[in-house]
Formats: sequence, structure tokens, C-alpha cells
Amino acid sequence: MRELASEIVLEARAITKRYPGTLALDRATLQIHRNKVNVLIGENGAGKSTLMRILAGVEMADEGSLLLDGAPIRVRSPREAAAHGISIVHQELSVLQNLDISENVFAGREPTHGVILLDRQTEDHRSAQALATLRKPMPVRTTTAQLSLGNRQIVEIARTLDQGARVLILDEPTSALSTTETESLFRVIGDLKSSGVTIVYISHRLHELLHLGEWFTVLRSGRVVGQAPRADVSREWIVERMSGRVVTRVAVDRSAPAKGPVLLSAKSLTLGSSGAEEATQAPLHQVSFDLHRGEILGIYGLLGAGRSELLESLAGARRLLAGSIVIHGKKINLSAVSDAVDHGIVLVPEDRQRDGLIPEMSIRENIKIGSMHGLFVSRRQQLLQVQGLAKELNISVKDLELPVLSLSGGNQQKVLIARCLMRNPSLLLLDEPTRGVDVGAKGEIYLILRKLADQGIGILFASSEIEETRALADRALVLCQGRLSGEFLHDAITDTALFAAASPVINTMPTSLSGVSLA
Amino acid sequence: MSIAINTQQRSDTLARSSVRTLLFILKARAVFVLLALLILFSILAPSFLTSNNFAILSKHVAISAVLAVGMTFVVLTGGIDLSVGSLAGLGGMVAGYLLTHGILFLGVVHYPPVAAAVLMTLAVCIVVGLLNGWLVAKAGVAPFIATLGTLYIARGAALLLSNGKTFPNLAGQELRGNMGFPHLGQGAFVGIPVPVWIMLALFALAWFIAVKTPLGRHIYAVGGNERAARLAGIRVPRVKIFAYVASSICAALVGLIIASQLEAAHPATGESFELNAIAAVVLGGTSLMGGRGSISGSLIGAFVIGVLSDGLVMLGVSEFWQMVIKGTVIVLAVAVDQLQSRLQSKFLPYLQSAEGQG
Repeated sequence: MRELASEIVLEARAITKRYPGTLALDRATLQIHRNKVNVLIGENGAGKSTLMRILAGVEMADEGSLLLDGAPIRVRSPREAAAHGISIVHQELSVLQNLDISENVFAGREPTHGVILLDRQTEDHRSAQALATLRKPMPVRTTTAQLSLGNRQIVEIARTLDQGARVLILDEPTSALSTTETESLFRVIGDLKSSGVTIVYISHRLHELLHLGEWFTVLRSGRVVGQAPRADVSREWIVERMSGRVVTRVAVDRSAPAKGPVLLSAKSLTLGSSGAEEATQAPLHQVSFDLHRGEILGIYGLLGAGRSELLESLAGARRLLAGSIVIHGKKINLSAVSDAVDHGIVLVPEDRQRDGLIPEMSIRENIKIGSMHGLFVSRRQQLLQVQGLAKELNISVKDLELPVLSLSGGNQQKVLIARCLMRNPSLLLLDEPTRGVDVGAKGEIYLILRKLADQGIGILFASSEIEETRALADRALVLCQGRLSGEFLHDAITDTALFAAASPVINTMPTSLSGVSLA
Repeated sequence: MSIAINTQQRSDTLARSSVRTLLFILKARAVFVLLALLILFSILAPSFLTSNNFAILSKHVAISAVLAVGMTFVVLTGGIDLSVGSLAGLGGMVAGYLLTHGILFLGVVHYPPVAAAVLMTLAVCIVVGLLNGWLVAKAGVAPFIATLGTLYIARGAALLLSNGKTFPNLAGQELRGNMGFPHLGQGAFVGIPVPVWIMLALFALAWFIAVKTPLGRHIYAVGGNERAARLAGIRVPRVKIFAYVASSICAALVGLIIASQLEAAHPATGESFELNAIAAVVLGGTSLMGGRGSISGSLIGAFVIGVLSDGLVMLGVSEFWQMVIKGTVIVLAVAVDQLQSRLQSKFLPYLQSAEGQG
């Protein structure tokens, strides 16, 4: 091996990639340091994922070259990338949920007896081995639909491990994981590193990156705008390069916490558990709380704590087993989402792409949908209303007729908020209000929500990020395994306090119950 | 451990095993329905349980079962093949044309022997299957539309071959050296009709492919999550094309069997057969969303439909009522399928926690 080049295992040199209308990557050069955790940072649309897809053979660069150990290679498919030892775990996990673990580990590269006969024994054996290496032994014939998100991710990592990955790309691996799952992922990353694997790590969560990263590269608008080892990196360094502007910390004015009258009063909300294929429903046990007009109330909890379930119950999307909801002093019965909307309760869902936006429609149509009443709709009047909201929420776009997917994550989120506001809500529910939203837009959304609260709307949001809960909430409730386990006023919201309240008390029970308690 | 806990555990185990039994019955419902139908008809119609009747029944079943086997592959990839009925018609007509008119080559009419005619028929249908696969996998046409188009194309081609007329007398002539075509549909081997052998052989082959080969695994993967399959390096277009070609081969065989049974090829043969095949697949528990289901389920589904319609005929139930009953059974089957997956997901954590504790 070359002595000089040995520091750099993989280099993407002067990569350019064009999409219709945009230049996703503009002569970006990325150097991946051997046996280190290489961190790639950038706002949404900066080109991180595109660059990673090119490295992993999912897409081809228009210009530029890839060098592995200093020698140029061609990567035209995921197969070729894997053959060079480059593997990726995608942001949206690509687990085949109808197949079992070992079928997933070997999908597309099945070992055979002779030419066509599947060799299940080898598959099972090697899958179990890979899982053991990752310190996550599971029965390899388990259908992956039954696994938690964290374990599905482990299955994907096991797959790359068995492929003999030398460079492992993790694209936003923790965006769907709870804190405990994230911690165990970090242990896995440590293990992999000590066995000689190079990690490329993409995330929006700065505290994770600062904890984990050893070599930092910042992308902005398809260009590399900074790279440095950990020692030279600070939070401010990252944010300045990401946004291209000097940071002013997102400071929300909280000078007037004047509590209005009680808007919503939830009593003993209870929800049964179920393990549906797509989304396991966490149960809720006797959750009671009040929300005042003009208050921003945060709900913090780990994965499976019941955050989304609580919001979705209030939005009429889930049927409560027991409990009462009183809004404006009137007890209401929610059997469908339309009931909640009639009472002024609207939800901005967690997964914009899946549950929120209608991708084929324009920005205007996405905002106005759901607020059409009567047989005939005055287009002009509605357009004015939509334009007014777009301006108020600072949705930066020249043309409201553009497809909604042409917007950045932050603006897409604002479109959803605008849609909710079209219905004149008195209670706005937000599930992960800034997931997949870049730092700049985050602060903007916080300010918008604060403004709405000042207008007298009650805001209830759920978040898995302590930082967000602290930045936004006047008061925070903590959920743990479907039970309220803590309540903190703004000044009392600290990392340790929230985290302690959110963590289940583990003493004798084995964790194999996977957090699903039986009704 | 106290006694109280032991009783608690015992009642838990009992509840779990009854849940398991319920799920098992729901899962294997097609088998139970089939058994119920067999018992019902043998009580109501005394001649139902005769070997003679079974020979007729199995021939009927063979036709929808062969189509259902091919259809299962397509449905498992998340697609649908509406063209199989027309394709069966076209297959019969191609064979009829070759046996009746031969091939004009260098000014001389050659009559291909039966084996060659059969192979040429298969080849024509495979071309249509490739077209289906190409349209779906490469051109990105929705399977419903692509195969609806080829449904019309194949039916039109079948009518064009004879100008809408029937090709009669396909028994062949000694002079032309193309005798023996009727064996395919009418013959028997070891007392079992040839179409039934074809069905069994096809079933065995399809089961092997689905369960024991990487190709089968890839079919499930593509139907389960196409994007994930592509990212895993599975060649998605190839897998889909295979499914449509397999389905077209099955359709060709059905066309050949029917033409051989009748010793005649009629261009309208196979109309609405695709619906029977889809019904058999769905009855057998295969999800129309793709990724979930089995070949053996489809075989049982085909038997349910075959037994149902033959039994009703023997009972003298009016043809119109037969349609109503068949439709009801299909709708019920899918409703029960939904019930099963809901119950399964509801009880899954419950059963799993039992296994977790040993």
C-alpha cells in the first residue's frame, strides 16, 4: 500500500451533479479519513445525501472521479460499491419488512448450493454471526416488520458488515431513534471503528456530531465550505459554515408568560396497545393535563413513550379507550379527524412526506386543501388568503404554483402550518415540529409558533429533542412508557431533568420485552 | 414462586394457545373452506364423491390453477396480469392456425409436428409476456393498464388469425404428420388426466422457484418494498419481467389444453379467465399489494373456486345464483384476510413476549 495516501481511504474528487433546474453538487471534493468517524454536515439541500448516493453507487456523478486508496474506481451500482467495500445505510431505512432478518442480510446476494438452490444454513449462520459482532443477537428468522426501528437499522448494518464493508455511510441514522437506541448505535460505531471500518456520518444533530465526529466536512449549496479535525471544531464553527452567516443564537422572547384561561383539559386519556405491521402503537395510561390559551406546551419522551399517540388521539386520528377531552369548557367526543377540526384542533404530523403533503399538488393547493367548504369556492378570495399566510409565515418562494416538493424541508413544514392556520384553529398540535429542518428555518419556525401563541392559540408539540423542548416550550411534560412522568416549567427544563424523567426505571426486568407492555 | 403466579401463568398459556389456534385457523382458512365445501357437496349431491366426477372436477380446476400459478408470481411482485384470458385464447388460436394452415415457407406449405406447434405457441405467448414485463418494468406503465392493453391486443390478434371463425378438427391428419394434439387435453397417464399432470408439474416448479431460489426471494422482495429491493442490488426489472413471462407461459398452456380438449380453437376462448385466476390467488391468501402470499395458497384457492362452481352445477343451482355466490365467497375471503392481519398484529406483541420469556 501507498504510505502517503494511507491517511485518505476514499476520495470523491471534484464531483458535479446536476438535476433539472438545480446544481446539486458543484465540484465538491470530499476526503474520507481512514478508520475515523468522518462527519458530513450541511443544511437540507446542501447536497450531502446526493454525494453519499454517488459514493454508494445509487446515482452517478456527471463529472468528477472517485479514488479508493488513491486509485480511481468506477461505481455504477450499489453492487459495484459493495464490491469495493463501500456500503450505505439510507436515511429512510430500506429494510424489506415482509422478509426475515437473514433474508434481509442477504437480499440480492444470496448464497446458493450449486447454481440455484438457496443456502439457508449459511445465511442464518452468517447473519447470526454479524448480529453477534454488533452485540445484538436476535433470532434470525424473525420477520423484520416485528422489529423496532433501531433493530431494523442493526439489520442493515449487519448486512453491510457481512458484505465486508470498509467504508460505512450512515445517512441520518438517528433521526428516528430514541436516546437509548442512539446510545447503543454509538457503541456499535465504536466497535466497528476498532475493527477497522471507516465511518461516514451524516446528521442534523450537532451535539451528536460533536460527540462522535473526528473529521468534519461542511457542505453548502453543493460545495465543500470547510473541513477540519475535531480539535478545531466548535458549534459556532459548524453553524457559521453551514448557514454562511454569523449565528445569533435562536432566542425566543419569553417576557410575557401571561397565562390565559384553560383551553384544553385532558383527563385520564388511555389508549390500548397494538403491534400493527407499520407502526406499533404505544399505549397511554391515564394521561391528564391542562393547556392554557397562549401557552406552548412541549411533550418530551423517548421512542415508544406515546408522544405521537397522544397527539394523534387529540387530533381524532386514534380512538381512545377511556378519558375525556374538554375544550373551551365543553366536553367533546372525537371519533374522526373531522370532529377535531370542527372543534378547532389541527395536527401537523411527524412525517411530512407520508402523512402531510400531497406531493403532486402545488404549494397553493397544499395549503388550501381541507379548508374548502361549500360547493363553490371563490378562487380569488382563497388565493388572497393563501398569499397572506405565505407572506406571514415567510414561505420564501416566488411562485405558489410550484410543486410543493421543490421547497426545502423548512418551507414544506411552513406550508403544513399554513394549511392548519387556514382552518382558524384554537389548538395547534405539532409532532416533531422541526424534524429534517435546517438550523436557520428551525429558529424561524420557533418564532412563528411563539407569535401564534401570543395571538391566543394553544400550542402542544411533541419532540424527541431536548434542545427543541427547551427552546420552544413554556412548560414541558415528560412521557415514559405511556405515563406522565414529569412536568417542568421552562426554567426547570434541563438535559438531565428531562432525560431522567423520560428513562424507564430498569431494575430486574430483562429488556427483551422491547418496551411493549401488555394490557 | 407462589401458586398464584403459577395459575396466572397457566391461564396465560391457555389464552396464548387459543389465540394461536385462532390465528392458525384464519391463516389456513382456504383449506378449511375447501374441506367444508367438499363435505357439504358430498352430502347434498350423492354423485359428487365419485371418481368420475373427480376426474372432471380436476380437469376444470387444472385450468384455473395453472393460470393462478403464473398470476401468483405477478401479484407477489405487486402487479397484476389482466391479459392471461386473452392470451389463452390467442395461444389456442396460434396452435389451431399452425395445425390447420401450416406455415408458408419458400412457396411451400409446411405442417409443423405437434411438438413444434406447441413450442411456437409458447413462443408467441412469451413475446406478449415480455411485452407486458417491458411495459411494466422499463416503460413504467401501471400493470393494470399495461396488461389491459395487451388483453385487447391479444384478443384482437386471436380474432384476426381466423377472421373470427373457429379452427375445427385439430386432431390432425396423418398425411400432414401432425396427429396427436388431442392427447394434451384428453389423454391420461397412470389414470390421471394430462392437464392435471401439467398442473402438478407446474405447481412443483413454481413452488421450488418461490421458496428455494434467489429468484423467488427477489420476487417477494420486489413486492415487499421495491425501492429497498433496488438499493439491495436486486435487479428489479428482470424480476418483474420474469413474473409476466411466467404468467404468459401459464396462459399459453391453458389455451393449448382447452383447444386440445375441444379439438377446436375458438377466438373467444378464455374470456374472463383472468378474473378466476385473480380470485384463486386472493382466496389463497396472497396480498394484492405484493410481497405476501404463496403458490400453494393459490392452488388451494383454485380448488375452492373449482369445487364451488362444479358443486353448484351438480346441485342444479342457477347460473345466475352461482355468480352471486362466487362473488360473495371472494369478498368474504378478502374481508377475512384483513381480519387476520389485524388480529395478528394485535396479538403479535402478546405472543412474542411469551416467546421472549421462554
